Amino acid sequence: MTELVEADDEAAAVARLHALGCTDGLPVVVPTPDRVAAMLAGAPELDPAIVLGVVPPRMGRATVESVAANAVMAGFPPAHFAAVCAVVRAVCDPDFDLGVVQATTHNAAVLVIVNGPARLVEPAFASGVGALGPGPVANTTTGRALRLVLVNAGGGTPGAGDMSTLGQPAKLSCCLAEAEEESPFEPLSVARGVDAGRSAVTVLGVEGPRQVMFVAVGDGAALDAERLLALLGATVAAPGSLGGMGYGGSSALVLSPYHAGLLAAAGLDRASVAAAVAQRAVLPAHEVERLHGRVRAAGHDTRAGVVRALSSPAHLLVAVAGGAGTYSAVFCGLADGVAPAVTVAF
Amino acid sequence: MGDGIILARRGTPVVALVTEKFWEQGRLLAAARGMPDLPRVALPYPVAGTGVPALARVADAVAPAILAALRGERSA
Repeated sequence: MTELVEADDEAAAVARLHALGCTDGLPVVVPTPDRVAAMLAGAPELDPAIVLGVVPPRMGRATVESVAANAVMAGFPPAHFAAVCAVVRAVCDPDFDLGVVQATTHNAAVLVIVNGPARLVEPAFASGVGALGPGPVANTTTGRALRLVLVNAGGGTPGAGDMSTLGQPAKLSCCLAEAEEESPFEPLSVARGVDAGRSAVTVLGVEGPRQVMFVAVGDGAALDAERLLALLGATVAAPGSLGGMGYGGSSALVLSPYHAGLLAAAGLDRASVAAAVAQRAVLPAHEVERLHGRVRAAGHDTRAGVVRALSSPAHLLVAVAGGAGTYSAVFCGLADGVAPAVTVAF
Repeated sequence: MGDGIILARRGTPVVALVTEKFWEQGRLLAAARGMPDLPRVALPYPVAGTGVPALARVADAVAPAILAALRGERSA
């Protein structure tokens, strides 16, 4: 059972929640027992007592009921409650190493990508124009509900459990759905082993998105694809990112439908895009040494004389989302072994 | 702090060296893992990248507190 706090009215309750450090700094919906019950009714198959995960550094137990209380605070739509429970399961997977994500001085946020039929349940998850927000309620409140769980169950309060030097807006929310209908590739979840037609969430620890603008020249599909792959690779290996320093971790690539189409037109599928970008996600070792005074062993390919930003093509998530336009996004990740992609079906 | 907790659980005598900026985080970690009294010694911040002479000065300054904590003479 979650702890009950009393207040005279809604405004006083919100003020009390702020004072207790239970919020993300934005106004919240007060999680009254009735509202929590309504959230739980969104996923009646989940027993409220189920522990979805233990959340570091406080090591609080995130039960279905406590996640429901946080989801209410986030303004999350009950129809998608099973999705946010899946997100909590995903970040609490030991492979994700959430303790580092929570405590690090890095600005690590959690990118959430939703696949499958749950995307389309109203209020639908946005996969098109402006999918990362602001705007789409399901998207923004999914990320927000997760952040509140990380604060309340995990103690991820800035300056205590969360030591991010500066923080970043994506810590408030960073969620999109894959544009499966516009994508030339199979859904990300299917590529990661989930049965087609089943819903799933995929999480990855990331910096904020780096926008990648590219307009095709039109002198041939292969030439345009090569330019785009080179640009994406250079962005993944951005100086100042952990990958660009040689930590050799994971990253994510969210291709606009336009860019995905350019790559598909050149005969590339999801796996070959990941392989090609990973191959091009390098910095000359001498440049890394000039910038940092040393080259880390993890990403140092001494034979090629380069620092590889990705440990392997499997360390690059490739998703398709966004509306019309010539912009994709790269999300640089953390060090190898920290916050790799984890997928949970629901 | 996390490494100190792991070692302590293995039965190794531990003093966690925690920079002053991370003192509260260390307290939270130790408490959450049932070791609120795990000995800690505060280091100035930053220590990384300050050079060998500076590190040596820090080491000289905190060594007595580390030894005292290991002897169980006082909680650092």
